[in-house]
Amino acid sequence: MLVNSEQIISALIETIQMVAFSLLFSTILGLPLGILLVVTRKGHLLQNLPFFTVLNGIINIFRSVPFIILLVAMIPVTRLIVGTSIGTAAAVVPLVFYCGPYIARLIENSLLEVDPGVIEAAEAMGATPGQIIFKFLIPEALSSLVLALTIATIGLVGASAMAGAVGGGGIGDLAITYGYQRFDTVTMIITVLILIVMVQGLQSLGNIAAKKIRRR
Amino acid sequence: MKKLLLSIIVLALVIIGAGCAEKTSEGKESTTVKLGVSGTDTRIWDFVAKKAEKEGINIEIVPFSDYVAPNTALAEGELDVNAFQTVAYFDVFIKEHKLDLVPIATTVLAPMGIYSEKHKDVKDIPDGAKIALPNDASNQGRALLLLQEAGLIELPEDFDANGDLNQIKKNPKNFEFIPMVPAQTPRALPDVAASLINNGVAGDAGLSPLEDAIFVESETATPYLNIIAVQAKDKENKTYKRVAELYQSEDTAKFIEDEYKGNLIPTFVPLSNIGW
Repeated sequence: MLVNSEQIISALIETIQMVAFSLLFSTILGLPLGILLVVTRKGHLLQNLPFFTVLNGIINIFRSVPFIILLVAMIPVTRLIVGTSIGTAAAVVPLVFYCGPYIARLIENSLLEVDPGVIEAAEAMGATPGQIIFKFLIPEALSSLVLALTIATIGLVGASAMAGAVGGGGIGDLAITYGYQRFDTVTMIITVLILIVMVQGLQSLGNIAAKKIRRR
Repeated sequence: MKKLLLSIIVLALVIIGAGCAEKTSEGKESTTVKLGVSGTDTRIWDFVAKKAEKEGINIEIVPFSDYVAPNTALAEGELDVNAFQTVAYFDVFIKEHKLDLVPIATTVLAPMGIYSEKHKDVKDIPDGAKIALPNDASNQGRALLLLQEAGLIELPEDFDANGDLNQIKKNPKNFEFIPMVPAQTPRALPDVAASLINNGVAGDAGLSPLEDAIFVESETATPYLNIIAVQAKDKENKTYKRVAELYQSEDTAKFIEDEYKGNLIPTFVPLSNIGW
């Protein structure tokens, strides 16, 4: 094995940092976008077709760009926000632009699953669009939203492996640079095992949370 | 109506038949050599391919985007020849992967350089500065050897060409080394004191080792000579040998010098010089 336990631990911390911060900011970006994608579409609460079409297009554009290209294209933005284009913090910016639109789509899906009868009932009661979104739509879809965010988090764990490209480090980077490129099988197995444990843990956590919400 | 249909079918068959015949006769005259390269710059091989075409050798260039697949594809017989790697990388790769490949000729030296937007001399790089370097095995080892040559770090005596950051023996100025994918090293220049950029990447980024680098590899860096490799069973293959000869000719050398303005140095030496 070419790496020591210290390297693995610091890589693990880097991965956790990247995933946690990216998830936070991606959700802040993706949640409102996802809601807007639902409520501005045809026949919905705040129907606004030009807005919907533009937003829909922009999200598709970000979802089309391969991550490594996005990472390079975002360098000026990254420098503006973080002050540098290298390192763990700098990797968070492209990860957010990668994951935010993805979360928007997942949230759109979850909200569209909500029974239209619920919205009609709320409208009949005279609720404002804001009330309908936050008091009816979101609570109704909450369990499914939690599962959607779980999927996004696991997607981030995978995408964070690419952060090594800009010196961001992380477990995935260790797997690639030592396991893959240097044929260091032991490191490859250890890093992949850590990733498996992380993904299993995150998915179980998401499942438990979703279940609890559904029971309430 | 029926006659018309029949004549159309007959005509179509004749055309298809003629097409097939043409292809087979062409196949007999020329041999196709599938050549694996890495990256998008195929100027030298385009030049060699043009010369080879006149002799009935059709070189099909297959570009790869990494440094692993061209060797595995060669070993599996998907490629006939590859030309993308240094002998140092090749030696370690075939040993670790247990591949039966051999070099048949040397090609060029593509000197790696230390680049900086802030400093004119490697001695000016301040204590604790950030230095970007490639994260892949062969380039990182090479970068560390170059840093040692520049007097910035010290490596152990038995440092092999594929060593990594863990093996740095002395780092007197406490530089912080940041490994990243090779193509990212030029892009990181504004954020670091210096970047170690391998030749191909520097060229793609519009940097010249001769003009822009503050320190470059010396010409005696024999482990970093590039080679043409084939499967061991093809060692004596006349076609492949001829391709190597076409590469190692004076007009190719002149083409390389003109086209790359000294950034690639044509280096045609006997295989014994590189330990084969």
